[in-house]
Amino acid sequence: MKKIMIIEDETTLRDELFLLLQNAGYEPIRVTDYNNVSEQMKAANVDLILLDINLPNINGEILLQDFRKQSDTPVIMLTSRTNEIDEVLSMSYGADDYITKPYNPTILLLRISAVLKRSAKVGATQKYHDVEVSTVKGSLIRNGSEQILTKNEMIILQLMLDRQGEIVTRDELMTALWDNDEFVNDNALSVNISRLRGKLAELGLSEAIETRKKQGYVLK
Amino acid sequence: MKLTNFLKDRLTAYLIYGISWVLVLIFMAAFRISFQAIIIVSLILLLAVIAAEVWGYIRKKSYYDKLLYCLNELDKKHLLSEMVESPDFLDGRILYEVLQDTNKSMCENIADYRRKNREFREYIELWVHEIKLPVASLQLMCHNDGNTKYAEQLKKIDDYIENVLYYARSGNAEKDYIIKPILLKRSFSDIAIKNREELQERNITLHTDNLDLNVMTDGKWLGFILGQLMGNSMKYEATEITVMAENLPDKTVLHFRDNGCGIPENDLPYIFEKSFTGENGRTHRKSTGMGLYIVKKLCDKLGHSVSVQSVRGEFTEIIITFGKNDIYDVR
Repeated sequence: MKKIMIIEDETTLRDELFLLLQNAGYEPIRVTDYNNVSEQMKAANVDLILLDINLPNINGEILLQDFRKQSDTPVIMLTSRTNEIDEVLSMSYGADDYITKPYNPTILLLRISAVLKRSAKVGATQKYHDVEVSTVKGSLIRNGSEQILTKNEMIILQLMLDRQGEIVTRDELMTALWDNDEFVNDNALSVNISRLRGKLAELGLSEAIETRKKQGYVLK
Repeated sequence: MKLTNFLKDRLTAYLIYGISWVLVLIFMAAFRISFQAIIIVSLILLLAVIAAEVWGYIRKKSYYDKLLYCLNELDKKHLLSEMVESPDFLDGRILYEVLQDTNKSMCENIADYRRKNREFREYIELWVHEIKLPVASLQLMCHNDGNTKYAEQLKKIDDYIENVLYYARSGNAEKDYIIKPILLKRSFSDIAIKNREELQERNITLHTDNLDLNVMTDGKWLGFILGQLMGNSMKYEATEITVMAENLPDKTVLHFRDNGCGIPENDLPYIFEKSFTGENGRTHRKSTGMGLYIVKKLCDKLGHSVSVQSVRGEFTEIIITFGKNDIYDVR
């Protein structure tokens, strides 16, 4: 389970973030003492840090700059400041992403998983049972037979693969598609899923995607 | 300074001169002074008066003409007092000092208002950042509780907050933006995701074309501008939004087109004006007349031009032109 450190001084927000990450299958850690955040950041052995810019006594950007001298752990800046200057500054100090409050929780989770995937250096091919999933080529290979996926189908499969065994809602799938500049509507999503099912069936995996009524889909 | 005006102005003096001359004539005639002597004295007096008047006229004319010339040439008239020198005649000096004093007082006054304005804006910015925290918390709560009912209202609150923030920013002289290459596609999709729920609820289809272009702008401001345009499209019954960019040698042109109710021809020239709501504003969901006004102001500040084309009942198209030259006309 991936560990994520939450550095956010607003208690309600911190607790809700904690809950959000916990529900999404991460192991969140809350920072509650804001006197020596820098030391805590360096001492913690986590996979990702969510860092607020406005902290008591200290500025998140300075913390980040200092932290980067020692560690490559991915950091996502969370802030209510909406100006380009802060964003440019944060990115130049080595932030991996920059998200402004209030954030769409689904997008926040997508960005977290994107950053984690980048840092884990997931290879171009992944395994789903005995199917080889190549994100670069956009293809599925099983026992020598190959199925080419469209961009949309790949995005859907990728998200389900990341959360294999869990329910992925239509809303989450939609957000992931839109996040990749594919502005599909409800019908198009259904069509994409049925096509993906068809292609998996061609490879002999006809029951791979299960529909959960009013909840979403599960990749078995 | 015209000669006739000068002469008119000096009329009283000339009258006095004339009366005294008549008196002198009477006295001289009474003392039986010879006719030639009277002529000579009169000529000397006349010459003296003419010489004094010509000198006075030239002196004042050169000063006041310069003053008026400066005033005409200056595009900021209030800088006049910095441009002129103190003259060597009394009434001119008095005017000069009065000008200096009033100017100084005005500067102080403006500085005072500017400070108050800045303080107010800083407070607005601070307030916006603070109010965003509870909104963010509420949004997470909605998500964690699986409640989407409130999320829509929260999105509206957030939009209104953004409106205030950018209104405060747009009216400000300070530079708080960064112009750097921004990928149109990225900026547009951020806004699309933000509005996804409402777009889908209203069954609006998005089409994009050729957005893989970089434009020189401030990313956050562009995001706000696109958000406003999208909000308008949703408000005015569009079912399709088409966003496309044209890459021209000297500029990039972004077309934001929807097939909503369109804008009546009479209203078109005014839509970027403050508080203008027009016919659509009266017949549709409450309109404040601020959205496009702020959009226009932000575009002006960033050096982009913005224009509109619309046919009632058919389409509305907002066109934003981004310059490509290195030097920007940034106000």
